[in-house]
Amino acid sequence: MSEVKTTAASSCASSGEFVPKIVMFCCNWCSYAGADGAGVSRFQQPSNVRVVRVMCSSRVDPVHIYTAFLEGADAVLITGCHIGDCHYVNGNDKTLVKYKFIKSMLNEMGMEDDRLMLRWISASEGQQFAEFVTEMVEKVKALGPSPLRKDGVV
Amino acid sequence: MSAPENPAPAGAPPAGKPPEKKPPAPSTVGDVLKGSDIQVGGKYIGWSVRDEVRKEGGSGGLVTSILAGALEKGLVEHVVVLKKSSQYEAVPVLTSDVEDVYASAGSMHMLISNPTKYLRQFQNDATIALAVKPCDMRGIREQQKRNMIDLDKIFTIGLNCGGTMMPYKIRKVTEEVYGVNPDDVRAEEIEKGKLILETTDGEHHAQSIDELEEEDNGRRENCRYCVVKIATNADLACGNWGVMPDYAGKGTFVEVMTEKGAEFLRNAIDGGYAELKVASEPAAEARGKVNSIMLKMSAKTKEEVFVPMQSQTMTDLKKELENCIGCGACRTVCPPCACGTEAKCTAFNDPVDNYDISLFHMIRFLHLMDSCVGCGQCSDVCPADIPLARLYRKFANPMQDELNYVTGMDDRTPPFFEIKLEEVQ
Ligand code: FES
Repeated sequence: MSEVKTTAASSCASSGEFVPKIVMFCCNWCSYAGADGAGVSRFQQPSNVRVVRVMCSSRVDPVHIYTAFLEGADAVLITGCHIGDCHYVNGNDKTLVKYKFIKSMLNEMGMEDDRLMLRWISASEGQQFAEFVTEMVEKVKALGPSPLRKDGVV
Repeated sequence: MSAPENPAPAGAPPAGKPPEKKPPAPSTVGDVLKGSDIQVGGKYIGWSVRDEVRKEGGSGGLVTSILAGALEKGLVEHVVVLKKSSQYEAVPVLTSDVEDVYASAGSMHMLISNPTKYLRQFQNDATIALAVKPCDMRGIREQQKRNMIDLDKIFTIGLNCGGTMMPYKIRKVTEEVYGVNPDDVRAEEIEKGKLILETTDGEHHAQSIDELEEEDNGRRENCRYCVVKIATNADLACGNWGVMPDYAGKGTFVEVMTEKGAEFLRNAIDGGYAELKVASEPAAEARGKVNSIMLKMSAKTKEEVFVPMQSQTMTDLKKELENCIGCGACRTVCPPCACGTEAKCTAFNDPVDNYDISLFHMIRFLHLMDSCVGCGQCSDVCPADIPLARLYRKFANPMQDELNYVTGMDDRTPPFFEIKLEEVQ
């Protein structure tokens, strides 16, 4: 965690341009392996993402998402197994319900749509993983810092 | 705030009266009913047999007599009654003394408390009967869905509600607008869109509720956009909407919603507490008409309040919440909130974090998206005067509209917990 922070902070300081901070929750069985796959296959992707491994995407509680935003994340990404593939029967169905609520709430708060994203990525989809991350970093760069981030937080 | 051009009733229970019919149709058909005539889904007009209850109680005292009958015949062990400490305040009290029930007769529009949380303390040990506003019953049902209140042990009489008023504001206008000493007020009633105060010298003072609301002194804001006016989610739905002039002030319209409601009504008739007649077709129509007028007004206010809020930014929201002192009173009174002392919203909320919007509020906004009943108590109790009810509704409205979920009105699982297993295969 600490070394990631230093890279982000230093790159921000050196160039002066906005470097988005993105928190990504990956399900242990699919997307985390997908992230691994992306690394092993050496797909290029930006380094703005901090991956948090969870056993199932349904472990991601609204509290986690809100804390990430309040602590200064510019976007939060949730990834999990494809619907029907969840290793705990219907965990990702629950994720979907929660996601719908949180998304609607953040929109009402005046947050941009792209700041919270849910994507199903399986263990073999290393390339999709890298593409998703690249795409999100570009989008968040265009959006600028999150309105929930406290002033002065780097 | 809103000034409906419509001369039709505004405010809480106006006496139902079809404007153009002359001579007005009778409220009832047929003779006084026997207990066995009462059916679920039936619509009746009833009144108390006791003279003094009829005199003291609003609209014939039917509700009081059903409660008294249930208590004396042992259908319930306790009744929750309202004990007035003044004309402006009342507290819910649990009693098994029938005299307390009789003493509580009479209408009251300045009652802002919702008994849901109060009820939660007792319901596991006793059977309780009580009269509820629609939002009270919605709270009770939400608690029941979360296994906190056992509906089998509770008997509820729903009362029509067009809105309640803030006691301190009415006290203020009594002095300033009515020009009456607030302590001289003996009774209050709402009729034809006017709030009528009766003073100890027997004089009546009336003011239009619309005019009071222009200065935000009438009904509470959340009542003005509330979408449930008839408590069809209770065992019995009572009120004076639909009572024609021949029974005005002398009878209460009652719709039997559940088998339990029918049982209590039969008990009141057989025990010699109340008399009922079948409500006539025009009476039932008039009731529906009052309801739809009220709902139309609510829809209008809802637009007036929430459409401008759509353009609110995060900065505006932060500003609204900036005075929060973190007392947690909004959570304590919240009827659908079922967590108890240890809850997600408090356990992870650390004031030291010093976030612009605390985790407490973030989590509560989310939790109430599907379960807010719009009772407005959060705004009432907030020591920092944050318009919380409006904020909770801002998040809840789009979600509840989208899901077509009217909180507390049916037995549907709260959508946040609703997972569709079929989709898994
Ligand atoms: S195990 Fe991957 S989403 Fe549940």
